[in-house]
Amino acid sequence: MIDINNVSKWYGKLQVLHNVTEKIERGQTVVICGPSGSGKSTLLRCINGLEYFQQGEIIVDGISVQSRSTNIYELRADIGMVFQHFELYPHMTCLDNITLAPRKVRKKLEEEARTLAMSLLERVGIPEQAHKYPGELSGGQKQRVAIARALAMKPKIMLFDEPTSALDPEMIKEVLDVMIDLTKGGMTMIVVTHEMGFAREVADEIIFMDEGRIIERGADESFFRNPKSERTKQFLSKILM
Amino acid sequence: MDWDVILRNLPFLLMGLQTTFKLAIVAAAGAFPLGILLGLSRLSSKWWLYYPASAYVHLIRSVPLILVIFWFFFLMPIITGRPVGSFTSAAVAFIIFEAAYFAEIVRAGIQSISKGQVMAGLSTGLSHISTMRHIVLPQAIRNMIPVLVTQVIVLFQDTSLAYVIGVREFLRWTSLVDAREFRSIELYATAAVVYFIICFVGSTITRRLEKKGGRLR
Repeated sequence: MIDINNVSKWYGKLQVLHNVTEKIERGQTVVICGPSGSGKSTLLRCINGLEYFQQGEIIVDGISVQSRSTNIYELRADIGMVFQHFELYPHMTCLDNITLAPRKVRKKLEEEARTLAMSLLERVGIPEQAHKYPGELSGGQKQRVAIARALAMKPKIMLFDEPTSALDPEMIKEVLDVMIDLTKGGMTMIVVTHEMGFAREVADEIIFMDEGRIIERGADESFFRNPKSERTKQFLSKILM
Repeated sequence: MDWDVILRNLPFLLMGLQTTFKLAIVAAAGAFPLGILLGLSRLSSKWWLYYPASAYVHLIRSVPLILVIFWFFFLMPIITGRPVGSFTSAAVAFIIFEAAYFAEIVRAGIQSISKGQVMAGLSTGLSHISTMRHIVLPQAIRNMIPVLVTQVIVLFQDTSLAYVIGVREFLRWTSLVDAREFRSIELYATAAVVYFIICFVGSTITRRLEKKGGRLR
């Protein structure tokens, strides 16, 4: 489904991704963790073409992201993304936040887009917030609207960039529950997060990144119990208190 | 004191005020679209848009307005090959001058919207133009309005500088009347009060808009 092949990226002279290779099958959930500045978010943005990379190739559902013949806008419409700071449009109601892209990109009628948006708000558990502005919502509610907004495009893949890092502790669960629900529904997901409980429960693979490299990958409990590299041990001991 | 002089010459003063408004409106209406184009060019990644627009903005903003007014007054007949009249000349000078300031307001307004908003729009498959139109500009314009109104108020006051090339605007008429009536104190005091009232109303509107903008955040 997603084939990341030897991807390297530089910001000027600074190399931020070093020959990253990773394969993600349809329906899998992959969790990426690692310290800040390790290139996790950058890698995520390379997958939907929000960032340019100089070397390597990323193929999403058979389409090469940076190929000249690729319509990146069509590709992005099939890849949902959720951001650390929600990035809801503050000048629109939650409902309009969700219906904008379906109307403009999928050319859905207003009525149809609204019905879809309401069903998604129902799914993330906050239909009563539909006509409020993002400024009136709690962090957890905002992130759930943001997830609904991404789902409204009926994406084949969902990318989550630290979706719970900006939330108060008691709101993290309500967002994670929605995400767990998605994995169980068979969505292909890449999640950058430090929520190791979430990783344990649903991840098919866990990747540890540092300084632009994939240092370690694991598929099960052994990733937490016996990490091979010293760097991973160090990192895990700090976040798994 | 002879305040009667104001009433006696009211038709002339009103005529001047009318010209002042006309000049301000023509200048703002011409400078705003030009300012948007310049502001967007200043944010463009295309060098042939960025460099000329930046050079323009920096050049104009480094020159006093009165110089631009003089300059066009002497330059316009040479460019067009015939005299164009002081009003047209002043209007062109104001448009050219104010556009540089509007451009910076537009640029700052767009830059005030976080990159994350753009990414969010793009990530849902929207094009750059749609993202600009539906997500960035509605927020940017809301942020810009108070500053734009303030700039128009400044522009309104600056129209009095057209006096120097003989445009019969409000201040010019005040001085023409004074030359005949010798009532400088009354006349110039009135002129000051008129400018004050108009600009005060303008800045009150700005404050209201700022408050409204703040609520929507």
